[in-house]
Amino acid sequence: MKSKILFTLFVSAALALSACGKKEEPKSAPTPAPAPAPVPAPAPAGIAVSGMTVGKSIGADKKVTAATEAFAKDDTMYVSVATIGSGTAKLDAKWTYRKGDKVAVVKEDSMTINASGPATNEFHVSKPDGWPAGDYEVEVLLDGKSAGSKKFTVK
Amino acid sequence: MSDDMPDFSNVKGGSSSTAAKIYVVVAGDSLSKIAKREYGDANEWKRIFEANRDLLKDPDKIYPGQKLKIPPKE
Repeated sequence: MKSKILFTLFVSAALALSACGKKEEPKSAPTPAPAPAPVPAPAPAGIAVSGMTVGKSIGADKKVTAATEAFAKDDTMYVSVATIGSGTAKLDAKWTYRKGDKVAVVKEDSMTINASGPATNEFHVSKPDGWPAGDYEVEVLLDGKSAGSKKFTVK
Repeated sequence: MSDDMPDFSNVKGGSSSTAAKIYVVVAGDSLSKIAKREYGDANEWKRIFEANRDLLKDPDKIYPGQKLKIPPKE
């Protein structure tokens, strides 16, 4: 009888311990708050060159009024550079003369602009005693990087 | 440069823009000198002064290194 009581106590104790050791189901992680909608990236600040034209004259709007790729020796050469965007940027114009594989720098000019929208910019060169006949090129750089070039001739 | 290449030392150049240009003041500059160079008329200095009122309190006091807005030539 005593052993039966002891056995009953043992089984009860074992069951009780088993119940105590029962692990609770882990609570599910709180549902993460929905990710905020991505904020649209602001329009890229800065200026980009959208076009360039060479010619013999410009208007008050700085646009070339007489586009050509063939100049006469007494012409003033213009390059009109259209830009878009806003901000501050440095524009350079590098005029060169080419003879075979030789290149001579004719003139280099630069200006820094502060634009709040589309703008037109111009560089010009002239030579009092006339341009030598031959092949020329003007390269435009925006903040030190080439933004395009135009080739032309003097007859 | 090779001797058989033309001489371009007398080439004159310039630039202008419909946007404001930024000019960095150098020693010896005055608004009149800048106006003469940019507009061809020293009397246009007031335009530069007005465009830079946030920076300049006195038109006679500009300093090397200052960056001035040069309004487009009209």
